[in-house]
Amino acid sequence: MPELGRAALVVTLGLVVYALVAGGAAAHLGRRRLAQSAQNALIAAFFTTAIASVVLLAALVRHDFSFAYVARTTSEALPTAYTISAFWGGQEGSLLLWLLVLTGFGAAAVRLNRTWARDLIVWVVPVFAAVATFFSFLVVAVASPFATQVAPPDGAGMTPSLQNPYMLAHPPLLYLGYVGLTVPFAFALAALLSGRLDERWLIATRRWTLLAWTALGIGQLLGAHWAYVEVGWGGYYAWDPVENAALMPWLAATAFLHSVMIQEKRGMLKIWNVLLVILAFSLSLFGTFLTRSGVVNSIHAFTQSSIGPWFLAFIGLTVAVSLGLVFWRLSQLRSPTRLESPISREAAFLFNNLLLLALCLAILWGVVYPMLSEAIRGEAVVLGRSYYDFFLRAFGLPLLLLMGIGPLIAWRSASFRSLATTFRWPTLVALVAGVVLLVLGAGSSIPGLIAYTFSAFVFATIVMEFARGTRARKALGAVSWPAAFSSLMARNRRRYGGYVVHASIVLLAIGVAGSSAFDSVADAKLTRGESLAIGGYTLVYRSLDERQSANATEIRATLGVSRGGDDLGTLEAGKNAYTIERQVSNEVGIRSDKVTGEDLFVIAEQINADGSVNFRVFVKPLVNLIWLAGLVFLLGSAITLWPDRREQRRLVARAGEVGLPATR
Amino acid sequence: MARKASPARLVIALSVAAVLAVFLLYTSIAGGGNPSVAPSALQGRTGEVQLAGLVVGPVTGDAHAGGLRFRLKDIGSKSKTRVAVRYTGSVPDLFKVGRHIVIDGRLRSGVFVAEPGSMITKCPSKYAPKQSGDST
Repeated sequence: MPELGRAALVVTLGLVVYALVAGGAAAHLGRRRLAQSAQNALIAAFFTTAIASVVLLAALVRHDFSFAYVARTTSEALPTAYTISAFWGGQEGSLLLWLLVLTGFGAAAVRLNRTWARDLIVWVVPVFAAVATFFSFLVVAVASPFATQVAPPDGAGMTPSLQNPYMLAHPPLLYLGYVGLTVPFAFALAALLSGRLDERWLIATRRWTLLAWTALGIGQLLGAHWAYVEVGWGGYYAWDPVENAALMPWLAATAFLHSVMIQEKRGMLKIWNVLLVILAFSLSLFGTFLTRSGVVNSIHAFTQSSIGPWFLAFIGLTVAVSLGLVFWRLSQLRSPTRLESPISREAAFLFNNLLLLALCLAILWGVVYPMLSEAIRGEAVVLGRSYYDFFLRAFGLPLLLLMGIGPLIAWRSASFRSLATTFRWPTLVALVAGVVLLVLGAGSSIPGLIAYTFSAFVFATIVMEFARGTRARKALGAVSWPAAFSSLMARNRRRYGGYVVHASIVLLAIGVAGSSAFDSVADAKLTRGESLAIGGYTLVYRSLDERQSANATEIRATLGVSRGGDDLGTLEAGKNAYTIERQVSNEVGIRSDKVTGEDLFVIAEQINADGSVNFRVFVKPLVNLIWLAGLVFLLGSAITLWPDRREQRRLVARAGEVGLPATR
Repeated sequence: MARKASPARLVIALSVAAVLAVFLLYTSIAGGGNPSVAPSALQGRTGEVQLAGLVVGPVTGDAHAGGLRFRLKDIGSKSKTRVAVRYTGSVPDLFKVGRHIVIDGRLRSGVFVAEPGSMITKCPSKYAPKQSGDST
């Protein structure tokens, strides 16, 4: 069996190299039949990669420990779901999954667009093939998932912290996101190579970018939730390099999704869009490099291996080639239209883009700073949490405000008078919210208060937009209000889905501000019967119990919780001691308030021999809005992603209109 | 570039200036970060640093009363230097002898006194199980 897997990967490598060489030659020389054959090779590469993947999956499920990979990542006793998740649990499997998704996306993107964007597709194929060549080379020559050995009696098993349902969704979603960004990248490069620099490449890739962006966003939120409920340190995001590695391409992709609209509507920002796509793709490669090369200190320590230099070389090549192409086509990327006024929708979108990019680059700077300072000063200097928090506030808060302004401001040029009319109500709502919150005591954190006020502003604009649109639909003859509302959504999914996504970002902002700016924490060593008061809650340490589960000894402290005299039941916090792995894990107790979205979060930091326990207790207001934001985000993305034939036809027609001759 | 200056350039120039201003503001307020050093490079440094090393036993004391005491040595180098550490605050689950940890703090009369709660443990291999280098 391993021979089949290895052979399938070698064939894949051969196919993608062929697709690269033949596809490139066909595109350059204008040979249609050769281009067709290169396309077929790329599609065939998906099937051969799929065969290799099935071989690995079968080996995992059969516990075939003669596969070194299987023996290293699983064990006989591991439940089947986690055994399957070991596919992406180790480095070689992850790379194979990357290749599988890459060739799958490539095959699908080529098939879906080959009739109406043929002149682009001939170049998309070799670009895709070049990326696939890199990854298939890695799994063939550097990190083969099909290395064999004399089968040991049992595998080494999976780290307990990974044996968690999140393991089934969080890593694959991030991979979908990372790899998905290859599609807009390949089309952007194809546009540069072919000289077809009209909006066609944007139209062809809009949904792909959205899909990748959604997967990346949801994947990160799942990771945050995983950290929050399982890791047990009381937070959900630590600005760790590996976390930042996923956030940076997401921010770049967010900027891209916005600036694309400016190019579609006004033909501006062409260079900018191409550069953003190149940045997003390079950052997704850089993320992989960071996690796999071990060049930075991270809480997440992945298998460190020799693939780091390969990645660095590939990133360098990607950036150099892409920028070279942009430079080559610079004269054709000039916009026919120009920004008319700094107070206009275009300008608001431009500000939004610059802020997103500034945040992204500030994070990137923080991530690479230890490496740079080591190279220059011979000493790695690490930028801590305060660095990132500072820039999140400095760039994130204006971004939040712009989210309310951008969608409502007029195109081309807006007057101050029209601004005053448009934003009268939202501003009023924001001011009232600010004053009320100040009275309620939110003044303890100025950034928190600003975040709340801006959130109220944005939320008001969103509600206003929905109300205005629905009223217009009703006036146009919709029978009922719900009918008017659904017809509004159906007619412009992109716009109103976008508003729903904006609403989710508002929820996220409120949740983050609430849980980080207005949280409280208490540490106390309690003996049985003693109590502790925090944030209106009273916790009484009642008892300590020990029980035996299948693979661990579980120690739990039971606390009685009450608030203002109301008994709220009990909460358990403690530790699990895993016998075989000789590892201890914190098992936190969380009580979520369904009405206020507030969490009471209890960690049993240290259980002493005399039965006393050192507790650390957090009260995190509004933290559950972060998870709610994930659901709303998914809903909004689904609305914008939903197939919309009318819009697609309109965009294609427009692309046909502006589709100028290839070379001038 | 003979075209009239457009608002786009003004917008971009202003934004870039604003971003730079924010950056300067940050560096003037908060200064740089902490240097990250290995135990063997700690000797003679009195400022606050981030110390990354491998835990050497015996581990004694109480992190919530008086401080947890252990020693750190360089990760992956032959250096014989051991640095005595006193740590208070939360102890991550994965802390034990042989683990890689990162702590903030400063050297005070030969003992590295860590900032409370600053310890970060690195699972030596999150996405792969125990390796032979895991024992001390």
